[in-house]
Amino acid sequence: MHRKRLIRLAIELVLLVLVLLILIGPVSSLVIWSIAETWYWPNAFPQEVGLQYWLQALGLRTSLAIGAVSIVPAFLLSIMIAVITVVFSMAITIPAGYALAKYHIPLGGFVLFLFLMPNAFPQMPIFVNLLRIYTDIGLAGTIPGVIIAHMLVGIVFGVWITSATFKSIPPSLEEAARSVGATKFTAFRRISLPLAAPGLLASAVFIFIKSLEEFTGTFFVGLPFVQTLPMTLYSASGYNMQFASVTAIVLMVPSVLFMILIQKVLRAEYVGGMG
Amino acid sequence: MAVTQTRLRHKGGIPPYGLLLLPAVGFMLLVYAYPFVSSVITSFVSPSGGLSLVNFQKTIDLYLKDIVFTLLVTTSNTVMILVAAIMFAVYLRMSDTAVSRLLSHIYKLGIFIPFVVVAQMMRSFLAPHGMLNVALAQLGLINIDRPLQLFNYAGLTFGFMWKLVPFAVLIVHGGFQMIDNSYLEAARSTGARLFHVVTRILVPMNKSSILVATVLVYAQIVSTFTLPYMLIGGKIPTTITVDIAHRVNYFRDFGVANALGVVSYVFVLVTAVYYLKNSMKQHQGKKVKEVVHA
Repeated sequence: MHRKRLIRLAIELVLLVLVLLILIGPVSSLVIWSIAETWYWPNAFPQEVGLQYWLQALGLRTSLAIGAVSIVPAFLLSIMIAVITVVFSMAITIPAGYALAKYHIPLGGFVLFLFLMPNAFPQMPIFVNLLRIYTDIGLAGTIPGVIIAHMLVGIVFGVWITSATFKSIPPSLEEAARSVGATKFTAFRRISLPLAAPGLLASAVFIFIKSLEEFTGTFFVGLPFVQTLPMTLYSASGYNMQFASVTAIVLMVPSVLFMILIQKVLRAEYVGGMG
Repeated sequence: MAVTQTRLRHKGGIPPYGLLLLPAVGFMLLVYAYPFVSSVITSFVSPSGGLSLVNFQKTIDLYLKDIVFTLLVTTSNTVMILVAAIMFAVYLRMSDTAVSRLLSHIYKLGIFIPFVVVAQMMRSFLAPHGMLNVALAQLGLINIDRPLQLFNYAGLTFGFMWKLVPFAVLIVHGGFQMIDNSYLEAARSTGARLFHVVTRILVPMNKSSILVATVLVYAQIVSTFTLPYMLIGGKIPTTITVDIAHRVNYFRDFGVANALGVVSYVFVLVTAVYYLKNSMKQHQGKKVKEVVHA
């Protein structure tokens, strides 16, 4: 019995080391590249490390190296696009999520279908055709065009998260408020909205993250004029590994932090999102 | 506030949910449904304007290799990801040790990292002179002058597994946790072996979440652009998402790009129908239940 337990422990430890190596390997490769100043192959580690590339990328030191650009403008642009995307998406998804949760809707099947389709089918052809439509109406390569593409990604998830949130609030609470004379809107504003606040906040954070990391839509409808952080990462990736790595880390940190915060509130299938 | 309500009622008798849903449904019709329908229609329109199959003919002539490659990547990776995820989820469900508790938290890391960052990671980690090859050479497993070339099927598979195994574990493990301990204890007490507990109890009782994980993983692999684009790019064979980008960026050829898009729709047809049916049933089922409660 004792030996069996030892063997079991040994197997578990091997599994743990294996998982850690697989998880940490690629992440540490990114971190090492971001601080590598001199790295001659085939050395396992850089000869010189330092924060030179970080300082350049963050605009604290200017540089003439190939591909050296400050990522600050792209970062600010990404944040601005994400904030506007969140505001517009929430303004659209809160009423829709509430309606889906609280009313029996004729043709409800059609509405559900419309919001489920983007999860079931590849989205790339959508962005390709948005580019075609945008080109005709002058939205191609503009910030509003990119925001609309990001809203598409945000709204699909936002509707599900908000409607699940409103569903979890018992209707009896709003009914109680109405029975003492509150109007429907007051009952919503004073009862449902505060109770739903944590779920709505999670939805907002999720849409923010999705917009920050969105690649495919921006690639088609935004390039070459709208350089968000993921676009900067992509263009740096071709010729300057250090800048690409710095950008990737800047992009990764908020995603990981926020997702850890909100993952408990989200249903498993939404957490993965779309590539 | 009362004014708002009466105004809502007076406006031609539109029910309140109609107004609440209007912006969202309108947005989806304009920004999703319209491009979707137009992608299918455009694929059947020839450059001269008539209805024809010329785009599909060109797609097959130019990209048949890539279509086969994409099918191979999506199906084989989905199987590998699901097998790995089920095994890992079984381990998390069946054991309660310090190690398993630690693993049940850290395995999620990949889920939270954006695909574009994963793509950049793999580009540096799997490169001919990258960390993996250097580490393998240090261990004496490969000759450093002949590093493993991984910017192909192998690297793509590693990248997809790195990102999507944790996602599949999250869904499958969630399902396993719903299965009551008493089933497992009953089976173990009658002497069932672990293999039988897994194949006769855990997997069959958790069929729905395993299927949902399969469908979502498969659909994600078909539609992911960043990883194949940054890892393989225009080399042959590559995935059809990369071909679509090339067709649009270099040739402005929306006909063939959309034909490739329609091919990707066909790839997911079965899983999409299953997912839509299943989710609609689930959502509508819940609604009926709530009406009964009220």
